[in-house]
Amino acid sequence: MILEAFTDRYVYFMTVALLIIGLYGMLGKRNLLKKLIGMIVFQTAVFLFFIEGATKFFIENGTKLRGSVPVIDPQLGTDPALYVNPLPHVLILTAIVVSVATTGVALALLLTIHRGYQSLDEKVILERMRQ
Amino acid sequence: MKWLSLFILGLVMALLIYAETDLPDRGDPEAPANQHVSPLYLERTVEDTHTPNAVTSVLADYRGYDTLGETVVIFTAGIACVLILMRRRSDDNQIRKPNS
Repeated sequence: MILEAFTDRYVYFMTVALLIIGLYGMLGKRNLLKKLIGMIVFQTAVFLFFIEGATKFFIENGTKLRGSVPVIDPQLGTDPALYVNPLPHVLILTAIVVSVATTGVALALLLTIHRGYQSLDEKVILERMRQ
Repeated sequence: MKWLSLFILGLVMALLIYAETDLPDRGDPEAPANQHVSPLYLERTVEDTHTPNAVTSVLADYRGYDTLGETVVIFTAGIACVLILMRRRSDDNQIRKPNS
């Protein structure tokens, strides 16, 4: 009974754990590159949450079966219950591309900051900005 | 500062776990996300677009404008990277040396 509840919900706790790790990377670290890595972990947690939301189970002959990939198989027919939800996959495909783009811009900015101040540490940069 | 960020993390974690109780079970076919348009995409993809892969048909056909906007985002990011990384002559004077 408890195991059933755990297998139904554990994905959400994993997502929360990843979100908290990413947020800790952004809040608690002083190195700007580590902050960026925290942001990437945060984004990945959101992606995994969406992809996990696409799963569909169906009952056949009393056993719980997983939905197939969202490619219409002529043998299976077009019953939507047999396939996983295609919409989160599409949205996350777009979101991954956008995340790569933002990561690239962020890395370019970090490179420029390092050229200007010879450091990526927040406190050192602030100190050198005041001089 | 350290304790403040840990406090914020704990607060966010409590909020997320509280919000998690409202989510449907994993793989529930009756969940709202599996109800409205996604069954229609799966049912009509072959007759509408002649593409058996529902992800492809949604990406490139039903929601093609979304993909067009995505390419605009990629283009903007590429331009931004080039502009940021371009070395200008005036930059060389502004580079500060660490006075150690």
